[in-house]
Amino acid sequence: MTEIKEKTKPVSPKAKVEEDLYGGEKPLPKKIADYIILVAGIALLVISLVMDGMGSESVVRGPMLIAGILVTIAGIYLFPSPKYHRAMIYVIFLFPLLFAFIITVIIPLVLGIGYSFTDWDGIRVRNFVGFDNYARMMKRPEFIWSIIVTALFVIFNVILVNLFGFLLALLCTTKIKAIGFFRASYFLPNLIGGIVLGYVWKFIFNQVLTKMLNTVTLLNASNTALMAIVIVYIWQYAGYIMLIYITGLTGVPQDCIEAAAIDGANSWQTLTKIKVPMIAPTVTICTFLTLTSSFKQFDVNLALTNGTGSVANFMGSYLTNGTEMLALNIYNTAISENNYALSQAKAVLFFILLAVISIIQVRTSNKKEVSL
Amino acid sequence: MKGKKILSVVCAAAMTVGLCACGSSSSSTSSDADSTSDSKTESSESASGSIQLLNGKPEIDDQLQSLAKTYEKETGVKVEVQTVGGSNQATASDTLKKDYQAGTMPDIFVCETNQFANWDGMLADLSDQDWVKNTDYAYTDDKNGTIGFPCYIEGWGISYNADVLEKAGIDPSTLTSPDAYKKAFETLDSKKDELGISEVVDYGANNSNLGWSTGTHLFGAYLDGGLAQDDTKYIDMLNDGGQIDEARMKDFADFIALIQQYCNKDIATNGTYDDETAEFAQGKAAFVTQGSWFGANLTSNDDYKANPFKCGIAPFAFEDGMDTICGGATGYWAVYKDSKNVDAAKAFLQWCSEDEAQKIFVEECGFNSPFKNITYTSSDPFAEAMKSYKDAGKFSGLHTFIKKDGLQNETGQVFEDFAKGSIATSDDFVSTIKGVIENYYAN
Repeated sequence: MTEIKEKTKPVSPKAKVEEDLYGGEKPLPKKIADYIILVAGIALLVISLVMDGMGSESVVRGPMLIAGILVTIAGIYLFPSPKYHRAMIYVIFLFPLLFAFIITVIIPLVLGIGYSFTDWDGIRVRNFVGFDNYARMMKRPEFIWSIIVTALFVIFNVILVNLFGFLLALLCTTKIKAIGFFRASYFLPNLIGGIVLGYVWKFIFNQVLTKMLNTVTLLNASNTALMAIVIVYIWQYAGYIMLIYITGLTGVPQDCIEAAAIDGANSWQTLTKIKVPMIAPTVTICTFLTLTSSFKQFDVNLALTNGTGSVANFMGSYLTNGTEMLALNIYNTAISENNYALSQAKAVLFFILLAVISIIQVRTSNKKEVSL
Repeated sequence: MKGKKILSVVCAAAMTVGLCACGSSSSSTSSDADSTSDSKTESSESASGSIQLLNGKPEIDDQLQSLAKTYEKETGVKVEVQTVGGSNQATASDTLKKDYQAGTMPDIFVCETNQFANWDGMLADLSDQDWVKNTDYAYTDDKNGTIGFPCYIEGWGISYNADVLEKAGIDPSTLTSPDAYKKAFETLDSKKDELGISEVVDYGANNSNLGWSTGTHLFGAYLDGGLAQDDTKYIDMLNDGGQIDEARMKDFADFIALIQQYCNKDIATNGTYDDETAEFAQGKAAFVTQGSWFGANLTSNDDYKANPFKCGIAPFAFEDGMDTICGGATGYWAVYKDSKNVDAAKAFLQWCSEDEAQKIFVEECGFNSPFKNITYTSSDPFAEAMKSYKDAGKFSGLHTFIKKDGLQNETGQVFEDFAKGSIATSDDFVSTIKGVIENYYAN
């Protein structure tokens, strides 16, 4: 509506803004009052924050803070600068979101990076230690081992989860009976929390399988225990990936498939030459989804093995965290070793690794979209 | 023009809604802050009236609530008990870290031996209190004075089923050397069917399930076994860059090997605490490698309830002449120095050390009292054994709690590998655990 109107009535944007603001007239005396409102708002804000900083327990502090925010916003809204009026309104509208984003993401991130350069113990910071935490972290064989285990786990998962997910999706897009039941039951494990799942599978590995097959449990040695985690993870995650593949497969235009059939393609050729190329973007999405989520694996790892398992000789030392992945290693460093700063340094590295993966993901999926 | 007016009204309305939304979101957070500050002002107004206590043991929450009520009835001072946690010992300390950041620290909180260092300089010195003279187990350090009020004492060695031992004709008081144990194990093993036991020792070493048992308690026997309460020889060595006494560790490993020879392999390598409890509660094992806390699990077990038996604790005697068990206070209460209620909190602790409160602690919570001249005994199966060791002064120290945090996760794995057989001999056990400890201390 507005755009049409603007087009029918060509006014310079600046003049239009002024018109919007002041109803066509040129006011001036309001100016000072507007400044006062803004200044008062900021003053209220500052006073209440200072009171908070000084540990005052006055009852008016809370209401004053809110009043300060509201008055400041009003002041900004009324600020007599026609030139930036639009921009200010945008900022006001964005304010709630920006506020929440800064509080929940930006500030913790900055604080977290800051803590990694100190000897923070979760209670207070005693010294600033520079890059000491980072240096120590890279010297610890068990941390290097955790990185390697995580990398292995990610590689196994990306391949296997996608393979199983895709096969299940193929199965669930054929015309077999009770298709809804199968889809739902393959997806169901994804709805169970990882901790519960971990304990259930721990019981299966330790009690059921050992008695059925009369062998030692998979969780006994580090390498088989890692395999056990991969199995549980596939069981949990393949259904979810399957759903995405199903959406991709049902999105393949029927006329392409028909055309291929007329050209005499058998079902294998239809699959490899038509369906798979057509769902290439889905494959990318699923790959990165499994990549990031298995990289962050924590709950199953915690419940199933809690990172235990031994490695006889790695970088010259006997390791006792054979199945401990990065996220769990970070957690254990903070909680059991009571070493919050070191754990924070590891978390920063973890963040950087994940950020790099995500950036690559965005880049590649953009490229795929262009090529389509 | 009219359309534009309407548009601007709509805009303004939308803006107000936006403002309200943001106003309410920020007001909700600040009202939160208000409510906490309200409750704070409330508590400071009634500074003589309310003490906040953070408890880390959910199983005694009810008893503490009734304790608080009794105290309120007597003195008019209200005690608010907040209970957090579960089996995970870190929960209470994490709650405290959060409370510290938020400025809502409780006046009295639970503190374990290894956590005192975190709160260095923030705990009130209690050394002028009367109860200090009445116990040997208060937590004291050189810098801050007496900062921990002992809640209960625990002890461990090897616990036994007294009925089974009696039937087999073994006198538990003779179990003070590895040879005596070896003989006892052999006797029991040969009479398995007759005694109705399926194995001699109930031992669990799976690191993810029972690493706390092997890595902390059994390892603690290496550190303190047979020594006097204040002897810090081996813990000093350990905390000086992770050194161990290899000869002593060898004896210790041999003893573990002896236990493994007579235990249930499945439970040893994969069992959980519940498996261990079930086995012992059914009377299927003569010994179990758990301590006085195990009594609470036994008394809540149906098999044990149906068929109770007498229990005792024998020394973890891996060298000749060891006749002590590791024992002492494992849970403390500390008072936050900057709290407004320090004096009220101190008065409450004093009351807790006295007769009436100790009756509740001992008889209802099942604690072993750390205070002298307490005559109450709990119905706990291990209470009698604990009392006899305490009265005889046969407690060795609990220095396992001041080793480097997290070491138990590493050593626990060595115990598991030893049980599984991937560490084959006790010599390998010694060299492996030596390397693991050195490596852990080097970082």
